[in-house]
Amino acid sequence: MREPAPTETPAPARDPLTTAMRASHVLAGVLVVGALAFAAFGAAVGDTFYLRLATEALIFAGLALAVDILLGYTGLLSLGQALYFGLGAYVSALTLMAVPSFWAAFGAALLAGTVVGLVGGVIANRVRGVYFALITFGMAQVVGKVVYNTRALGASDGLIGVPVVDIGFGPWSFSSASPAGLFLFVLGYVMVLYAVAAYILDTPLGRLLIAMRANEGRVAFLGYRPVTARLIAYVIAAVVASLSGALYPMLRGFVSPELLFFTTSGNAVITVITGGAGTLVGALYGSLLLTVIKSYVGSWTEHHLIVIGLLFMAVVIFLPRGLIGLVRPKIERMLSRERKP
Amino acid sequence: MTAHRNGAPVLEVKNLSIRFGGLRAVDDVSFTVERQRITTVIGPNGAGKSTLFNLVSGALRPRDGQVLLEGVDLTGAPPHRLQRAGLARSFQITNLFPDLSVFETLRLASQILEPPLRAWQPVRRSTIAIARAGALLERFDLAAKAGHKVAALSHGEQRRLEIAVALAGEPKILLLDEPTQGMSHGDTEETAALIRDLAADVTVMLIEHDIGLVMSLSDHVVVMHQGRVLAEGPPAAVRADPAVQTAYFGHA
Amino acid sequence: MAVLDYLQFVLAPQMVTGLALGVAVVLVALGLTIIFGLLDVINMSHGEFYALGAFVALALGSIGLPFWLLLILVPLALLPIGYMVERGLIQRVFHGGDRHVTTLLLTFGLGLVIEDVLKLAFGPNPHRPETPISGGVELLGVFVPNYRLFLIIAGAVVIAAVAAVVYRTRLGAMVRAAAYDRHMAASLGVPVKQVYAGAFAFGVALAGLAGVLLAPIYSVFPTMGRDFILLAFTVVIVGGMGSIAGAVVAGLFLTQVQAIASLYISPVWTDPIVFGIMVVMLMVRPQGLFGRLGHA
Repeated sequence: MREPAPTETPAPARDPLTTAMRASHVLAGVLVVGALAFAAFGAAVGDTFYLRLATEALIFAGLALAVDILLGYTGLLSLGQALYFGLGAYVSALTLMAVPSFWAAFGAALLAGTVVGLVGGVIANRVRGVYFALITFGMAQVVGKVVYNTRALGASDGLIGVPVVDIGFGPWSFSSASPAGLFLFVLGYVMVLYAVAAYILDTPLGRLLIAMRANEGRVAFLGYRPVTARLIAYVIAAVVASLSGALYPMLRGFVSPELLFFTTSGNAVITVITGGAGTLVGALYGSLLLTVIKSYVGSWTEHHLIVIGLLFMAVVIFLPRGLIGLVRPKIERMLSRERKP
Repeated sequence: MTAHRNGAPVLEVKNLSIRFGGLRAVDDVSFTVERQRITTVIGPNGAGKSTLFNLVSGALRPRDGQVLLEGVDLTGAPPHRLQRAGLARSFQITNLFPDLSVFETLRLASQILEPPLRAWQPVRRSTIAIARAGALLERFDLAAKAGHKVAALSHGEQRRLEIAVALAGEPKILLLDEPTQGMSHGDTEETAALIRDLAADVTVMLIEHDIGLVMSLSDHVVVMHQGRVLAEGPPAAVRADPAVQTAYFGHA
Repeated sequence: MAVLDYLQFVLAPQMVTGLALGVAVVLVALGLTIIFGLLDVINMSHGEFYALGAFVALALGSIGLPFWLLLILVPLALLPIGYMVERGLIQRVFHGGDRHVTTLLLTFGLGLVIEDVLKLAFGPNPHRPETPISGGVELLGVFVPNYRLFLIIAGAVVIAAVAAVVYRTRLGAMVRAAAYDRHMAASLGVPVKQVYAGAFAFGVALAGLAGVLLAPIYSVFPTMGRDFILLAFTVVIVGGMGSIAGAVVAGLFLTQVQAIASLYISPVWTDPIVFGIMVVMLMVRPQGLFGRLGHA
């Protein structure tokens, strides 16, 4: 057809999306190193408060990961992801109260997240765009209010007195009452959730979701049923949120209906947007950042929402890729330079 | 080449109709697309050409009539099923994924050549799709732009990519909706050569406005007017048809 | 006679209470639905503007301004705020990628800030302004507090006025034209930017007015918008996003459902029932009962 293109390698190996994901992995690695140093320091000085606070930040980072899978990759804004986080928390608490075993609670939360995620996904995926946001919001509200009014689930008090469990892998085990031990465990657990999400998003299925965010209609003409792809993304996000919620009663010893409410869902959305939607690692950093802001600003005024709200608005207006968007492109450039021979 | 199933034509459209309100946008349209021929649908604006494409490609459901692909009834099937059955289409207005790279767009479009479970393995394992995307990059002269975002391509490049995406899944029939829309004269010539080249492997049906191109490119022409087929036949015969002269060329 | 007593002393008062709430919800929902119908923006800060209206009324009332004056002053005070929010914030992201999501997020952030500012200024505890009209009347054997009667009538007048402005005036025609096709409207000489900002300000002012009207019945506190906005969103969705008639019908219907459900089932189940209606509505008829502003 045209004159032959100037000598440039037709480089299928250098895939921008894979490079972007690798850049996220670099940042995730930095986070793990920092967290390990923090844990060592915390354990050395015998700290409990900050270790537990950081553990909670990581648990909510798991919820934010779920929101990012939907919002940042599939283009679906969930305003009710707390539904699955709370589901995981309640199921885990109930299981632990019956059988004090981590793996039983994990299995129950996995199963509940999958089943309820499928049902919720079938309902929510009937609509798109703002209607999806509002229906997820509505579903979480319905379930939240029902739990709030159900005496068997502790109604407005929630479930208290979840026993301390021993979390074991083969010969190695530790008690969930140990702040440093639980922190390290939750760190590993959330990083596994991150790795699984990253893996899925780097498969053709994940690429399909990314394509759907830009142009869902065209995906059908590539031979894929958009509704099915959206449902898969929804169920994955439900399971990630549920598995994150399952950790909550192990840390706090109780669960309450607030875990299901809009404040929880909304916080996860703020976390993702502030950290950087569509980066996965932004959800992790965002959660830590918000926790730091809350506890730091909270130490001299209880009005941290003004600070968080203004920061969030500024990010929405000025930083469409969030705070991670300030850093990650530089790492991407470094990585793609490295790959050139 | 795959064996031709029961000798049926690649595409057969029978009595296809749809209405929008009182408007009969496509009204009792029937025609056949024979294997390895270039069939072109022409007609004045509003004749129902694009609606016809939307009906055939599953973007719209017909009210009446049938769409048969190699003799199999696929009337009203959703687009993804038609694509899997071997019917692919491009769009008049470029309709792609602006943020994806050119290579990734083609790899994604080629993914249906892979076994389904490959979708759950890292993309680098999808070697068939990667090879197909690489071949398409070469064939459509987009290799130099492989790593660029689709949004960064020129109009002509986007139009070529639009065709390449439709071709990626190795369809039996390729529907091209005004492939040269908005192109310069030189680009149009090149695209015509490309389509002729494609027609060696795949049956092509297109909508086209450039009459010179239609006459030189087509084996078979279907003329639509006010939702109906006004005439069909070889280009020269159609051009000579007085009814076509009146309706389409605007003079008797 | 037990049946009549039941009607007179139990069911009817409950329905009147529901009607008063319904009128108030419609006022809030009207603002939401106009903003969505015209700008395509889900205003997540709408509940906070409702609270802001109540607090501004509280503050002005405490320096001695009469309630009647506040009914006019508070919406007027919110107009410029709404106008500036639209021009200064929403327009910044309006033309970006995913307008629905970014404007929703932006107004969500704004809501958080307003709520916390109200907490900072007035404290977290509820305030209870005095009822401007005390006493009550008996209508057809049902006792109705005077203020609720006033609320129902005043609200109905405002709703009718809004509908008249949108559907009967030249201004309303411009608004509807801009909602239908902004480019076409602009080419016809409609000042689209001002219409957008004006419509947002108008919606916000309606929320503020609802805040003033409801303050004497419900307490005034910074998070008062939260629960109320859920109901307003439900009303907007069930009625059809962007439909004024839909907001009125759905608002009155859903508040009656709440009122009756709290009698026959239990007050704690009213929210799940109403949200359940919304979810079912979204599933079977996402466009709601009525069509969108400018489109029907």
